[in-house]
Amino acid sequence: MTAGRTLGQFYPVGSPLHELDARAKILATGILAVGLFLVDSATGFLLIAAAIVSLVVASRVPPGIFLDSLKPVALIVALTLLFQVFFSREGATLLEWGFLQVHEGGLFRGLFLASRILLLVSTAALLTATTAPVELADGIEDLLSPLERLRFPAHELAMMITIALRFIPTLYEEAQKITRAQAARGADFAEGGPIRRARAMLPVLVPLTIGAFRRADELAEAMESRGYRGGEGRTRYRELRFRARDALALAIAALVVVGGILL
Amino acid sequence: MRVEFQDVRHVYAPGTPFEVEALRGVSLAVEPDEVLGIVGGTGSGKSTLVQHLNLLLEPTGGRVLVDGVDARTLRRSELRRRVGLVFQFPEAALFAPTVEEDVAFAPRRLGMDEDEVRQRVRQTLELLGAGHLEQRSPFALSGGEKRRVAIAGVLAMAPEVLVLDEPAAGLDPATREDLLGVVRALGDGGTSVVLVSHDLDEVAEVADRVCVLEEGRVRAVGTPEEVFYAHPEASQAPTSVRVVAPLKEEYPEIGSPVRFEETLAALKGLLEGRR
Repeated sequence: MTAGRTLGQFYPVGSPLHELDARAKILATGILAVGLFLVDSATGFLLIAAAIVSLVVASRVPPGIFLDSLKPVALIVALTLLFQVFFSREGATLLEWGFLQVHEGGLFRGLFLASRILLLVSTAALLTATTAPVELADGIEDLLSPLERLRFPAHELAMMITIALRFIPTLYEEAQKITRAQAARGADFAEGGPIRRARAMLPVLVPLTIGAFRRADELAEAMESRGYRGGEGRTRYRELRFRARDALALAIAALVVVGGILL
Repeated sequence: MRVEFQDVRHVYAPGTPFEVEALRGVSLAVEPDEVLGIVGGTGSGKSTLVQHLNLLLEPTGGRVLVDGVDARTLRRSELRRRVGLVFQFPEAALFAPTVEEDVAFAPRRLGMDEDEVRQRVRQTLELLGAGHLEQRSPFALSGGEKRRVAIAGVLAMAPEVLVLDEPAAGLDPATREDLLGVVRALGDGGTSVVLVSHDLDEVAEVADRVCVLEEGRVRAVGTPEEVFYAHPEASQAPTSVRVVAPLKEEYPEIGSPVRFEETLAALKGLLEGRR
């Protein structure tokens, strides 16, 4: 039941952020993400970081959810930090231990990069935690719809995203079932080196893949039998509405980023 | 082999908002050479219970004893060979290019030599009436054939206890009959079978004993006659018992038949006696 939590799941609590239009949230997330990488002064970075942290607080989503979403990138962050700290030889030497040297510049850059990644992931998690998957997909569809003139399949893409999100927990559950069935037949997934372990996964991956294709077929049939013919002329049950507060939110996000760059 | 549950409890996701108490103190034994039917509604804990038989799930309270020894002290691989567990819709776990290889997976994992593996595979497929499918791809079979092959994949380990979780769900009547015949034959041939099902007619046909689970507790356990005639209501007894029970008051000589053939014979006897 906790499946998919780490992949950034919707967390339905009422907060001003949950109320915002999905399109505004997607754009604001993009602006903040770009801002995170454009800013190179410490004060500007702190401004954006403070903005993101206050958004996290305002979302009323428990901090544990964000910590969970940071788990998958923990290794990358740790490696980035270590590389910068130990291999960059800028600035004054802070510490010397055998061949290892820690320089001021390296420490600074390492922390900077690591917090950049952490903030980036938190921002993305903020978007998925405060926006229902359906709204998210609708928002993406709307934002991409101008591209439809260039024959870009915006609706199809959004539908694919919705379906993919919907089936993450289902496939996870299926994988667990198959794993248990194979364990009952003597499969051992924890034994041997990496190659042997990868090979031991075959009895799970093969049926899982086949099952996924079967599900896809069934879903396509179910959708067609209910009259689905793609995006053309399709109306929505829940219309997205872009209101003044959404424009305001976007403006604030842009201001924070511009401010961060100027500082 | 005898598997005994002593006050087994199981809580899923303890300490989280998703906490579910699936088993609330189950004491029960699977005797050697018996067919034990486990019945109960959805969410009564049947599937959780059977996964404790080979410790795919570990009890969060109580003990599982195998021939008097705490199962936790036994080697898992050995335990899983001796207790063969067939999950619901086992065909979802077929994976090899041919039926033969799929069924051979478990015996090979047990380290048997190749001749023995081949012999096991052939015998098991033969027993399940799927001998002719050996070289086919498991993905190109019909639903009933897939089910036979998937069950063979566990039975090929020659387990001492075979656990079947809803083995006949969604099957055609012919395959279902065959399968119940196999269950009966295994029970007579020295393998214990634990049959989990919510189809009471199915359980009535093959079980030596029946255990009724309700909300994670054993509500009743005993011979099919005892259990089913104690509650001959529609939702708690097989068709045969529901037909006979109302007649019993007036014609006690009809006895307490449970299986279809027995019931038919009893009714015939009753009619002939009146003529």
